[in-house]
Amino acid sequence: MGVEIILKIAAVGILTSVVNQVLKYCGKEEISTLTTLAGLIVVLVMVVNLISQLFNTVKGLFSL
Amino acid sequence: MDIVKVIAVGIITVVAVIILKQIKPELSIFATIAGSLVIIFMILQAVGVVIVDYKNLLDKTGLNSGIFTSVLKIIGVGYLVEFASDICNDAGVGSISNKILLAGKILIMIMCLPIIKNLLELIINFVS
Repeated sequence: MGVEIILKIAAVGILTSVVNQVLKYCGKEEISTLTTLAGLIVVLVMVVNLISQLFNTVKGLFSL
Repeated sequence: MDIVKVIAVGIITVVAVIILKQIKPELSIFATIAGSLVIIFMILQAVGVVIVDYKNLLDKTGLNSGIFTSVLKIIGVGYLVEFASDICNDAGVGSISNKILLAGKILIMIMCLPIIKNLLELIINFVS
């Protein structure tokens, strides 16, 4: 639990944009939208795990 | 909770968000959420220690611990509501953040009822 989660998200963002540029260059427009979607879902899963961890911690801590 | 670490995480998050805003705007919201989550986790460790100390203090005074748990609940709700409404503000959707704030206020008002009842009973006991 530290900085690496933020850097991971930034890395996924940069990677998807690079892949999109390459795909655009090769002329495969439709696949580039899929890679954007894939990147988004990967980051979404990461963040959802973090948020569920937060809710469990807060529940335990404040006896909600 | 090391304040230098909190500041470092904050700055790194801001940099990541700005980079992502240019390249992939939809991911910048996730970067803000992740950054604020990391900082909140650091804070929660410190808060945990404080709460344990308060509980020990309270046991000594022999007060009704129900009040303390409901106060804790209110603090917890306050934390979460503020966290969520800030994220909505960052994303630019002000109306949703106000709705979350409103829901939080109402929930806290509901949670206050038992405390107020206790207070009234105490006062009535003193008077009669």
